[in-house]
Amino acid sequence: MLHDTTHITDRPVILSLAGLSKTFGTLKAVDDISLSIPEGEFLTIVGPSGSGKSTLVRILAGLEAPTSGDLFLRDTQITQSPANKRPTAMVFQSLALFDHRTVGQNIEFAMKMKGVPAADRRNRALELLQLVRLPEDYYSRPVTQCSGGERQRVALARAFASDPEILFFDEPLSAIDYRLRKTLEVELKELHQRTGRTFVYITHSLEEAMVMSDRIAIMQSGRIVQTGTPAEIYSAPVNRFVASFMGEVNILTLEKDTGGKQVFSEIGQPVQAARGAYAMIRPEALELGPGEITTQLTVTQRLMLGSRTQVHLVSELGATLISELPGTAPELDIGTTHPFSFSTEDIAWMDE
Amino acid sequence: MSQRSSPGPWFAAPVAIFMLVCFAAPIFIVAWYSLMPSRTFGLTGDLTLENYRSAVTDGYTRPLMWSLIGAATTTLATAILAWPTAVILHRYAGRWAAVASALIALPIFISESVRLFGMSVFMMPRGGILAGTMNAVFDIQIGSILNTWSAAQIGMIYIHLPFMLFPLLLGVSLIPADRIEAARDLGATRWQTFREVELPLAAPGLLIGMLLTFVLCLGANAEAAILGGRAVTVITAAIEQRFNYAQDWPMGAALTVIVILVTALIVLPVLSRLDLNRLTRR
Repeated sequence: MLHDTTHITDRPVILSLAGLSKTFGTLKAVDDISLSIPEGEFLTIVGPSGSGKSTLVRILAGLEAPTSGDLFLRDTQITQSPANKRPTAMVFQSLALFDHRTVGQNIEFAMKMKGVPAADRRNRALELLQLVRLPEDYYSRPVTQCSGGERQRVALARAFASDPEILFFDEPLSAIDYRLRKTLEVELKELHQRTGRTFVYITHSLEEAMVMSDRIAIMQSGRIVQTGTPAEIYSAPVNRFVASFMGEVNILTLEKDTGGKQVFSEIGQPVQAARGAYAMIRPEALELGPGEITTQLTVTQRLMLGSRTQVHLVSELGATLISELPGTAPELDIGTTHPFSFSTEDIAWMDE
Repeated sequence: MSQRSSPGPWFAAPVAIFMLVCFAAPIFIVAWYSLMPSRTFGLTGDLTLENYRSAVTDGYTRPLMWSLIGAATTTLATAILAWPTAVILHRYAGRWAAVASALIALPIFISESVRLFGMSVFMMPRGGILAGTMNAVFDIQIGSILNTWSAAQIGMIYIHLPFMLFPLLLGVSLIPADRIEAARDLGATRWQTFREVELPLAAPGLLIGMLLTFVLCLGANAEAAILGGRAVTVITAAIEQRFNYAQDWPMGAALTVIVILVTALIVLPVLSRLDLNRLTRR
């Protein structure tokens, strides 16, 4: 099944996945995935651990053979071709740097394997050091003497050195501390824009995916459940899994009351013109004061988020909700009850 | 007068004394003996380098060469045999690895001479296990390589394989799987991956295995005696002859010193390149 209907691009497809599956014993790690990746796209595959995203990218890189399905690079079938024959390069989660070599030797590895003369290799390596913002004198430094962020950059330069058409990233930033990760995310996005290469990035963080990607594919137990631009995913998650993956959101369940009217079971409020079985309401859409759909909620927790305040609320029926309000919201003391409301326009409807 | 006492020297003392008495002293005595006049039995004669001169002129370079060739060939052959074995044991054998390792290690607990005589029985012409079976079952008559240098060489490889395999197993386990994948991903062929990534990463284990095997083979005697039938004389046999039959202790001592020096010349440069920390840290 193709989910690739929301993203429209006129660029030619560089990589197509046709019904890729990978089974380990009885476990279907990758389950019938079809996807087309246009040239120059920054595609991020997001999923929790165990969703099969790492296995998928390893199949794309040629490090794992699929149990069934086909893989095409432009029009060429490459399903069976080994990793070293594919014009792709991977940045590993562990980085997999050659610790017995210098930074320069690591970067030059792919060129050395191709038999590029030493002088040319060196020039290209120095260019690449500049590209990933490392000083030139790092060239002869052992990689074991580099910091975490520097090692990231060396791994990136090494992958670029093979002049790949597609770069794969298997959660390379997951072991990096928050601030450095933010910096590297932006640098990676800039690098993508400057080089125009196709990036396929794997992560378990939807936040990271939102920052960098042109398009996001969300994986759940071996399947891609939704693809779309970050904005599309954000505004219209296809199911509760995707919605909850985005962090703290309110999900309300629709049910019919005794009179046959549609009500939200968590707050007991009726709603007209429901377009799904579940409603996602973002914390910032749940506002203080009466409105279209109003309900009485009691404050159980107050968290300062800088310019905003997050309050944890409980309804009369015992359901927990979250609201984010501008400023400090001084009137919302813990234990007090206030009217909160949201508008049907702010609801993202989901069927499952 | 009172100094801060540290326990280090006290704990080291027993071993230090042992090494001094049982290692340094004998070597010193042997070295001193090698400077005594030929066929004398005292340590008080006039110092002379005559024994070293005769070692070269009386044809002792040949046994030394045979020993060096035997050690080098065995080292190379065991390395080539042990590499795939170690890789299979480490990466693919899974829970069978322990069983296979035990089976390979088991012969070490049986006397070397017993195993070599066993091989000798196997290799014997006509009635031997191999030739006899070929004759009785397949009606094929084959000759025998027993009592040749080749038989001695095969024996040496067989005896010393475990000494190469186990350090190499340690070496192979130092290669992280993702480094191999990274090399492949960056366009390296299998051979290039082996040469550029696997070999350097496994080098500490490989070097230890090579040193062990080489040094052990240089002092090996039984293989040439039992399987080789003294087709060639190895240096250990020559030294033994000097001390026993010839009753020429200074000459035997001089040959011993030469072997020690040659060994040191080969071993020390390798040892100095070996980073033992890498082996123990992970």
